[in-house]
Amino acid sequence: MTPVSLTINGQPATTEVEPQTLLVELIRGPLGLTGTHVGCDTSQCGACTVLLDGRAVKSCSVLAVQAAGRSVTTIEGLAKDGQLHPVQDAFMACHGLQCGFCTPGMVMTAVCLLQQQKSPSAEQIAHALEGNLCRCTGYVNIVESVQLAAKSMAEVKA
Amino acid sequence: MTTTTDGIAARYGSGQTLRRVEDPALLQGQGRFTDDHVLPGQLVLAFVRSSTAHGRITGIDLDAARATPGVVAVYTGADLVAAGVKPIPTAPSFKRPDGQPMAAPPKRALAHEVLRYVGEPVVAIVADSRAAARAAADAVFVHTEDLPVNVDPVRALLPGAPVLWEGAPDNISAEMCHGDAAAAEAAFARAAHRVSLELVNQRLAPAPMEPRSVLAWMDGERLTMRLSSQMPTGVRAGLVDAMPGLTTDNTRVVVGDVGGGFGMKTGIYPEDIAVGWIARTLGRPVKWQAERLEDFTSAVHGRDVISRAELALDAQGKVLAMRVRSVANVGAYPSTTAAAIQLLIGPWVATSVYDIPVIDFRFTAVLTNTAPTGAYRGAGRPEAIYITERLMDAAAREMKIDGSALRRRNMIRPEQMPYTNAMAQVYDSGRFEQILDQGLQLADWHGYAARQAESRARGRLRGRGIATFLEWTGGNVFEERVTVDVTADGFIEIGSATQAMGQGIATSYVQLAVDVFGVPPERVRIVQGDTDRLNGFGSAGSRSLFTGGSSVRVAAQRTVDKGKALAADALEAPVADIEYREGRFTVAGTDLGIELGALAGRQPGGHLFVDSTSSVGGPTWPNGCHVCEVEVDPATGVVEIVAYASVNDIGRVVSPAIVRGQIDGGAVQGIGQALCERIVYDRDTGQLLSASFMDYALPHADGFRGFKTAFDTSIPCLNNPMGVKGVGELGTIGATPAVVNAVVDALAGPGGLGRDAEKVQMPLTSEVVWRALQRRDFGPPVFEQPV
Repeated sequence: MTPVSLTINGQPATTEVEPQTLLVELIRGPLGLTGTHVGCDTSQCGACTVLLDGRAVKSCSVLAVQAAGRSVTTIEGLAKDGQLHPVQDAFMACHGLQCGFCTPGMVMTAVCLLQQQKSPSAEQIAHALEGNLCRCTGYVNIVESVQLAAKSMAEVKA
Repeated sequence: MTTTTDGIAARYGSGQTLRRVEDPALLQGQGRFTDDHVLPGQLVLAFVRSSTAHGRITGIDLDAARATPGVVAVYTGADLVAAGVKPIPTAPSFKRPDGQPMAAPPKRALAHEVLRYVGEPVVAIVADSRAAARAAADAVFVHTEDLPVNVDPVRALLPGAPVLWEGAPDNISAEMCHGDAAAAEAAFARAAHRVSLELVNQRLAPAPMEPRSVLAWMDGERLTMRLSSQMPTGVRAGLVDAMPGLTTDNTRVVVGDVGGGFGMKTGIYPEDIAVGWIARTLGRPVKWQAERLEDFTSAVHGRDVISRAELALDAQGKVLAMRVRSVANVGAYPSTTAAAIQLLIGPWVATSVYDIPVIDFRFTAVLTNTAPTGAYRGAGRPEAIYITERLMDAAAREMKIDGSALRRRNMIRPEQMPYTNAMAQVYDSGRFEQILDQGLQLADWHGYAARQAESRARGRLRGRGIATFLEWTGGNVFEERVTVDVTADGFIEIGSATQAMGQGIATSYVQLAVDVFGVPPERVRIVQGDTDRLNGFGSAGSRSLFTGGSSVRVAAQRTVDKGKALAADALEAPVADIEYREGRFTVAGTDLGIELGALAGRQPGGHLFVDSTSSVGGPTWPNGCHVCEVEVDPATGVVEIVAYASVNDIGRVVSPAIVRGQIDGGAVQGIGQALCERIVYDRDTGQLLSASFMDYALPHADGFRGFKTAFDTSIPCLNNPMGVKGVGELGTIGATPAVVNAVVDALAGPGGLGRDAEKVQMPLTSEVVWRALQRRDFGPPVFEQPV
């Protein structure tokens, strides 16, 4: 077992993991944050997407030990002081989710995109979401949700 | 049925778009899917699965697995047989051609003696960690004597084909003929036009994003199973049937959040029985979380039907008869549901919105060394409608008339309602020509020539496809029980045995309750997914809203009626003088009154409880007109959808955003069948070649999203008090033929393939289209011999 210390949703955490433990296993297991989901075994579906030092990563493709000393944000860490993140709020407003299983990964990918690109086009959003699979929505309302989130984030800044 | 029309109901009730009650938890990582639950002392189960498609088990080496650190127990099929665990039965509803009941090898929790498809569960390993269970599973060696493999349903019918099970020496599981073969033959003989197509509805993976997941434990003497299912009661029945000592009283099935179902999570799976039996045997909690690979290999697949289909038409284009011969590959262990989907449910809608007087259908369900097929969004209806709509276009091409005009000539007219089709199905309502007219207008059907010319100027082949169609919804189970529990704090809890799986049914039920109670939506809570509370058919066949929702509405009204009687007592006034509005009972013409919550608090136990069972009168027949336009790049074969317009008759709409999400999301699944998805088995070895999201192409975000989607809400269903029609499967059913018809149209156009374009088979990948266009290569023949 290897000790790992990291920052999870702004809080320090220390735990022991096996060398082969995946970041998603650490998050869902010892850290008890089950909002991050596992939908495949080949890194295609993106349901496990989290932010690692602010960048969206598929946490099934990162070893837990690689997160040592770094900051991880999961879907549980997005809302601040009871206020939903604009991306979460936009998904609700645009009916951007149905079963909700892919949603945490979609939201984290979108949050990362909007940090890098303030007003992406629908095509740019769809391209950014290429690594996240959804079987329910046909992506129509997901792309609309991200567009609305970009708009409302720009208004807050203005 | 009375509905309050005051402020609260008008703002939040049916017809309004509400933020979904499901969303706050799901968007903050607070959803509770099965794998999110962990019990103290929980063991982890891993299955060893068959790596051979057909073989006799001659021995299983388990010593290394048993010696793996962390392993608690190892079980084989023989262990379960010895313990009296029974196979999952098939119902005697369907017959073989020789009159014997439907043939299906015994489907066991773990394979016994013979392996019949790659992925069949063979050994169950239980360990204290997932890593240990996996390591032990890798250490198991299953010795087999190879048997001849066949994955092809047409080949299965040839003399000398490998026999899958001694109960069906001809590999036929079941067969059904419908209609009048002699009348059809006469119609074809006198027809002015005849068209014939060979069509493949390829095998698909439902692929909900949450794979199957089961957690079983003993609660005292009771077996409790938490799993991801659309049918908790059906799973309980399956467990009780399979395991000695289980009864409906000592078995409980609980379902939390379900990460998509699409039909794949209906009924019981062998793995469910294995997990339950082992938890009961060990007396400890056991969790099995399917890997995606396991869902690809061993969850049910959908479709997989090969058909020769023909239409006979008179000189004016009126269809005289329809003839279909279909071979359905139902896999190694078909269920009754699998047979019903192909032999009955599809045929029910095959004549669709058209007045086709004569049919001659033969549907044959065939055993092969592949995973069992079962329900997948549409279940029989997409296959049937695909055939019908491809035929309509072929006939229009043959007669050189507009496809929409040919359809119009054949449509059932409103004055023919109620209409009994050639399968003796009764449509209660429908104005199909009205829907067609709106669809053509929304799609700018008559402005197409200019768009086609513009595409051609850019070197693209443009095509246009239409599907006018209907479908049947309901599962033919029309009764639902609903409980309403009003507590002293004024909260209203509504229980239903229908099952949420992402379709937002809780939100729709809240809106129906708001209609009647006139209270804010946050005062209503919906409870589902617990066989200790409520039992029923569950959610499948687009039935939840029209059956479950109708019953919610009836139960809410009964609660208000009961409240009025109790309020009359409390207020010492005649019942006839009691009025109810927005959570308060009053005596008419006075300011005397009592709040709903306060009234509930005065009842025995401090709450007002109503247990209500009600039924709707029959199925619903939602229908639509879907129009698609595509561009094909002749150099690459890439198909791009450039326009998609649909007009849908789903009766009255309760939750507008939700129904739009169902239609568009469903359409993308139908587009997936048309353009990219396909389950592929190796013909020689029976290995599954498309067993991951790398090899099985689900639509991605960069696909088509520009749907123009409209609803005609003026044609209520007459079989339920709300006038609603099922919506869950409509988009999927319409999209596949609309898209394929568009691609065929593009390929058949000027300088193209002409009628040969009709030979292309789904999925229309760039390779398939390029080979057709550039090489006149349409793939291997669909039938190796006439059927």
